[in-house]
Amino acid sequence: MTQELEKKSAPALLRFRPNTDVLEREDGFYIFVDMPGVSKDNLSIDLRENELEVCGKAVYPRMDKAKALHVEFGDGEYVRTFTISDGVDRDGIRATMNKGLLELYLPKAARFSPRRIEIQPG
Amino acid sequence: MVIDFSSYYDLPRSLDNFFEEFWKPSLLSQRRVSYPPVNISEDDDNLIVMSEIPGMDSGDIELTLNEKSLIIKGTKKSEVGNYYRQERPTGNFQRIVNLNIPVRSEAVQASMKDGVLTVILPKSKESRHVTIAIDAQ
Repeated sequence: MTQELEKKSAPALLRFRPNTDVLEREDGFYIFVDMPGVSKDNLSIDLRENELEVCGKAVYPRMDKAKALHVEFGDGEYVRTFTISDGVDRDGIRATMNKGLLELYLPKAARFSPRRIEIQPG
Repeated sequence: MVIDFSSYYDLPRSLDNFFEEFWKPSLLSQRRVSYPPVNISEDDDNLIVMSEIPGMDSGDIELTLNEKSLIIKGTKKSEVGNYYRQERPTGNFQRIVNLNIPVRSEAVQASMKDGVLTVILPKSKESRHVTIAIDAQ
């Protein structure tokens, strides 16, 4: 009985909106997404037009012998979509996944990056 | 500009979120009120404590085991920059896990993978289940 239930519920993972920081530094935008339990292989990042979608699956190994006493987190799918403007250099977007934290770097397009204007002698 | 409009303008999606949040507590025994979230399980030989602490170096997490509890402690640093959105928790955190049974403190193992801390605490001999044979008379 329980095995049947497990089989049925296996494909539909709980969806979570991961906690995210978005910040700007001089060289571009940084997005930090908390995705504990997600390894590099279980992560997908797709850019479609203006939408950047990150999706990661956290699946914990089944411990058949162990009995759960207290549960606050579990298997899940982290999904989050960001809207990106023309001010971002799309080809330069980089992503790193480290210790359950996804870091996205979105460099500013050349025409939007700060530029010093030379003062011409009059 | 990178702006996440989803929570402000996407009403259908926020309604979805509302219902998701609403149903979650029935699946999890405690809502995410304390940080970091902790799972506790046991098998015949061990108590297993797992905790989601993403983006932390294992060296920055302080694990203390005393007679009755396991303490997970650390500080999450915030990033430098101009924030548009900040949802990830920062600052000091501490979680105390009460251990109801004696463990062999010298054999405790802790590891960290993909931002998930796993602590395995072997039960001491006295707290294991023992089957007692009944003599027929």
